[in-house]
Amino acid sequence: MTIDVATIQVHQELDVRGLNCPMPLVKARQAILKLDVGQVLKVISTDRGSVKDFQGWAKAANNVALLAQSEEAAPDGKTLYLHYVQRTK
Amino acid sequence: MSIALPAADVVASQASGRSEIFVHELYAALQQPSNLLLLDVRNDDEFQMWRIETRHTPETLHLPYFFFLEEEEKAIAQVQERAANGRPIVVVCAKGGASDYVAERLREAGLSAINLAGGMVEWGDFYDVRPVTEQPDYRIYQVDRVARGCVSWVFISRGEAAIVDPLRYGERYLKLLEEQGAQLKFLLDTHAHADHISSGPDLAELTGAAYYLHPYDAIHPFDMLPARMKYAMLHDGQRFTLGALQIEVIHTPGHTLGQVNFLVTAPDGEAFCCTGDNLFIESFGRPDLGGQGERWAPVVYDTIFGVMKRRVPNHAWILPGHYASPAEANADGLYMKRLEELWRDNRSLHFTEKERFVEFVLSHLPYMPPQYVEIKRVNIGLSNPSLDEADELELGKNICALSG
Repeated sequence: MTIDVATIQVHQELDVRGLNCPMPLVKARQAILKLDVGQVLKVISTDRGSVKDFQGWAKAANNVALLAQSEEAAPDGKTLYLHYVQRTK
Repeated sequence: MSIALPAADVVASQASGRSEIFVHELYAALQQPSNLLLLDVRNDDEFQMWRIETRHTPETLHLPYFFFLEEEEKAIAQVQERAANGRPIVVVCAKGGASDYVAERLREAGLSAINLAGGMVEWGDFYDVRPVTEQPDYRIYQVDRVARGCVSWVFISRGEAAIVDPLRYGERYLKLLEEQGAQLKFLLDTHAHADHISSGPDLAELTGAAYYLHPYDAIHPFDMLPARMKYAMLHDGQRFTLGALQIEVIHTPGHTLGQVNFLVTAPDGEAFCCTGDNLFIESFGRPDLGGQGERWAPVVYDTIFGVMKRRVPNHAWILPGHYASPAEANADGLYMKRLEELWRDNRSLHFTEKERFVEFVLSHLPYMPPQYVEIKRVNIGLSNPSLDEADELELGKNICALSG
């Protein structure tokens, strides 16, 4: 992914820290349907498996695009996995 | 010996209202042919890399779980096509979460679906323990990490134990030794492994037993850095006594420079040769994991057709460190064969000319997983991964033999 996450305009954040597969995706899917087409959802997850899951989901679903993914260290030392998902339809 | 659980019992588990089964139950159910349908709901690349395989791998349907989120009806219909009439379905994913979700959707749709608890992580961590032989004077156990095709061997005699090529979860061996009332004396690695993390150094620290490795393998072949962990040095011709058993070290370089065999001789005249990644039931260990395939392939030839022929008796049982397919096991699920049978049945050994052999080897080298360099670092104390990182390093099946 070549997009710099700092340039992405986020319309809503979804915090799914502590939740494991499949919940990050289940909740993201519900949240994205509440956005308008073109808007971006930023998902904050602690589940390492969510990285591949969001990639697979974006391929399988016909109404979302995965703009970027990144990692960030949380204050407690855990890694946060960030996903930027845009509603396209 | 593992107790076989017929597939019917998996169905019975569902009938009794259980929503999940454990990996040991699934493994037992798959020791004989069954009509189970495995539904694997992981991502494409995870499924391509490794999946559940046993001696009787059931029909497997792959359908990533986000299809069940995006197009639930369509996805369920696809499963229904294959699983009419109450055919039992075991749903599997990476960790057991998404498969639980999918199994529940399938049950709501009237199908007999049950979740595999813990998913592929648990499957990957499952060790099958079974006896090779139980004599009054000595006992031998095969400890098989099924998902990876890694085999380790436990020798017990007169209250003393040795483990050859101990796999990552050391506590499994300690449990076995406790049941057997044996004290761990020797931890013996046939070589510094590239495909899995050895529990040898950790078990040594935990129990006070000595951990042994050949010093040639205590130098990382790519980094050219020396080991940073405690080990005792093996050398050719070295002998150990374990109760009534005699163990001889035979240097068998080729797969690695420090690869050795442990030839174990029992008082009843039986002999057992732990070959690590030297000889397998089918094929033998590839010479290129140290980055020196062309130089080391002729060494493999000299080891197999020189050292092995000279030093290992023909009646010795070969106990290898790996298998590529569960079909290599005998009827008792054991990966062992007498050396004389191996000369006859292992077609990769049907060579009489070194040149041809080397040509064959170099033209049958499979892909080398990049993490193999790092695993070797871990095994000689140059790197210390977290639990998650270690899991990722060890993902999938070993690729230590030649291909095809």
